[in-house]
Amino acid sequence: MEKSNSNSNTLVSFEKVNKSFGATNALIKCSVSFEAGKIHALVGENGAGKSTLGKLILGVHSHDSGIIKVDGNEVFLSSPRDAVKHGLVGISQELSLLPDRTVVDNIAIGRETTIGPFVSSKKTLEKVLAVMEEYGLFIDPTKLVGSLSVADQQKVEILRALNTNARLIVFDEPTARLASHQADQLHDLVRSLAKSGTAVVYISHFLEEVLKISDTISLLRNGEKVRTDSTSKETKNSLIEGMTGRDVGNLFPNKPTIDPTSEVLLRVRNLTRENEFKDISFEIKKGEILGIAGLVGSGRSELAHAIYGNRAPDSGSIELYGKEFIIKDVAHSIKNGMAMVPESRRDQGLLLERSLLENTSLPYLEKFTSWIYGLNKEEEYSEVDESCKTTMIKHSGLEKEVQYLSGGNQQKVLFARAAMNKPKLLIADEPTRGVDIGAKQVIYELISQLSKVGEAVLLISSEVEEIIGVAHRTLVMSRGKVVAELKGSQITKSAIMEAAFKQD
Amino acid sequence: MNNALDYSKKHGIAIITILLFILLALTTDGFFTERNLRNILDQQSTILIAASFMTIVIISGNFDISVSSIFVVSPLFALLVENATGNIFLALIAGIGIGLAMGAFNAIVVTYFKVNSFIATLATSFMFFGLGYLISDRSLMRPMGDAYQQIARTKFFDITSATWLALVVVIIASIILTRTRFGRNVFATGGNQEAARLAGVNVSRVQAATFILLGGASALAGIVSSSRSMSAQPSDDFSFVFAVLTAVIVGGTSIAGGKGAIWRTVAAAFFLAFMSNGFNLNQIDPLWQRIILGLVIVIAVAIDSWSQRKNV
Repeated sequence: MEKSNSNSNTLVSFEKVNKSFGATNALIKCSVSFEAGKIHALVGENGAGKSTLGKLILGVHSHDSGIIKVDGNEVFLSSPRDAVKHGLVGISQELSLLPDRTVVDNIAIGRETTIGPFVSSKKTLEKVLAVMEEYGLFIDPTKLVGSLSVADQQKVEILRALNTNARLIVFDEPTARLASHQADQLHDLVRSLAKSGTAVVYISHFLEEVLKISDTISLLRNGEKVRTDSTSKETKNSLIEGMTGRDVGNLFPNKPTIDPTSEVLLRVRNLTRENEFKDISFEIKKGEILGIAGLVGSGRSELAHAIYGNRAPDSGSIELYGKEFIIKDVAHSIKNGMAMVPESRRDQGLLLERSLLENTSLPYLEKFTSWIYGLNKEEEYSEVDESCKTTMIKHSGLEKEVQYLSGGNQQKVLFARAAMNKPKLLIADEPTRGVDIGAKQVIYELISQLSKVGEAVLLISSEVEEIIGVAHRTLVMSRGKVVAELKGSQITKSAIMEAAFKQD
Repeated sequence: MNNALDYSKKHGIAIITILLFILLALTTDGFFTERNLRNILDQQSTILIAASFMTIVIISGNFDISVSSIFVVSPLFALLVENATGNIFLALIAGIGIGLAMGAFNAIVVTYFKVNSFIATLATSFMFFGLGYLISDRSLMRPMGDAYQQIARTKFFDITSATWLALVVVIIASIILTRTRFGRNVFATGGNQEAARLAGVNVSRVQAATFILLGGASALAGIVSSSRSMSAQPSDDFSFVFAVLTAVIVGGTSIAGGKGAIWRTVAAAFFLAFMSNGFNLNQIDPLWQRIILGLVIVIAVAIDSWSQRKNV
């Protein structure tokens, strides 16, 4: 154990804290302490307990047993309100802002300056401006939050935290939705917060990021703390080994070779949709994995949805197997051999409260339906079971609701669904977002398997390493246009980034 | 260790209904008699017919307030046809047909014009009620012949045809919801509309179908009710839809959509019927009956939202 408790700068400390949800032990005898002025990162796979730890600090959940101390005094944080009183505030992955209210309203919410019973807009604004001034973070206070970019919305949330005189800020995956230059700005901001004496708890999946900005790293695995060490003692490999408990070896499978004579499966010509993407032309051969890189908002997902039939393009055409394919609707595209793993599994992919069985077979029920008998559930069950086996989903029964699966397994459900159709073209939009390294490895393997049997994959990803490790060829999109096409060894991080940020 | 809790959470409404049944059978004279139970079945038939399909609409993520107005208007139209032709089959077809048409109108407003279903069906309710006054010329309507009452009052094995009709409708609705592709699509649409769309489900068509089916079921319920009383009268009475909604919601079908079951609605309908029957047999003041009914609804919904919170 650490000697940290004696440290005079310790702001919050946990001593043998336990927390369980039903039968799941989310956090087991966890002892850790957070110091003022330090950036303390929490790393671990999904379900390791790092978000739970963060939520205990913020009073979102209350601990079952053990001791939590703030300023050396034992406390029980039963609600976020309690935590805020102690100056403990969080910036969550899903931002909790009011989109139809102004920046100043959002920052000052619950802390408006009042004169008698009335809110003084002027004084409230002055106070917010003073906070902006203090930290050099300016955003037009009269703008509606809904009209801001994600990065600016996050700044609003940080300003809100600063406005409550936060002494400790928990950042939970703050860069998951940011482009890399925005992430850099955030890192600078986090560093300056720490410099001014704020304690920072930084939860992130991105190990490079953690290594770059933190002072201390705590590693968690299956609800238990493995170790806390100063960042200088850790490397990416030591962290991965600590997180998974094993050496993962090579994350990416070998790229399958494409038969040079193989035919073109999909040809896209001058596809355009106003304000989203313009004049997109490319082709994919059978067995090819084509990456689409670029920043969020560059039109990648929109393009994918147009090809998939979810949103009609304004002009342009696509060909499937050399024949013109009329984009009608999603059902039509699925019938013609397309499958999609959408960007957000929670919002666009899964029915969380329905069973694994229903989630997997949803698009293909027609196959199991006859007019007289209705659904043939036995047949459905056996096909779904097979598909779940090939995608290596760990589950405790096909009739269990998918909300109880881990993030990685939920993501695999979407692959199991796609595999049911033996798709000719798989569109995978951020297929490994928010999943742990073990699940990532499986997903890359699945994509590579598909390619081996001659299916084409359109891989959209913000993770450059992923594109480099998996794709045969990649397009880089920026502001709705394809700005570069890179092949084989041309696919490098710097080439992708340069193209993505090029100003035209 | 959580199995018992899970089981009671899942089947709570059925367990409570059976317990109430046993309690009343043991304590209340006149409850556990053939006649009383047959009466309860007969009285619940109209609610069950509409509530089965209301359950489907709510699972798909919508609401339909216009059930009351369709319940009022359809028998008026059926009687208009009956009075003109003397044929009860034509009357039935006309009555259910106009119910389906009104359901289709709701479907268009909700799925094509994208009006929130609660507001849309509240608005169409007024239109339909108005239509009722038009059809009936603002007066009570009666069937010409005695045949009309046969719709609800014919007895098979001592049980009224109204009860049999309800049974058939409940079974059909259950099969539709649990054994067909359409049923799966209903759950998908209500559970996560965007996910359903990306899985190739025609969300609008699914929702439209649920409204049309409910229109037909509400019309049938209205005709059964008018056949029982041998009359129909235009009104602006919203009470029927609230009785229907109460059964669905007390049953635990989530008003957020995506979750629920017809058997739950049936169990809740009987729970409410037993409760009110027990009150009457024990001569409890109707004033208190209302207060307790309201309390039961609050508790049912609170339990539902509590159990969902525990899941996260």
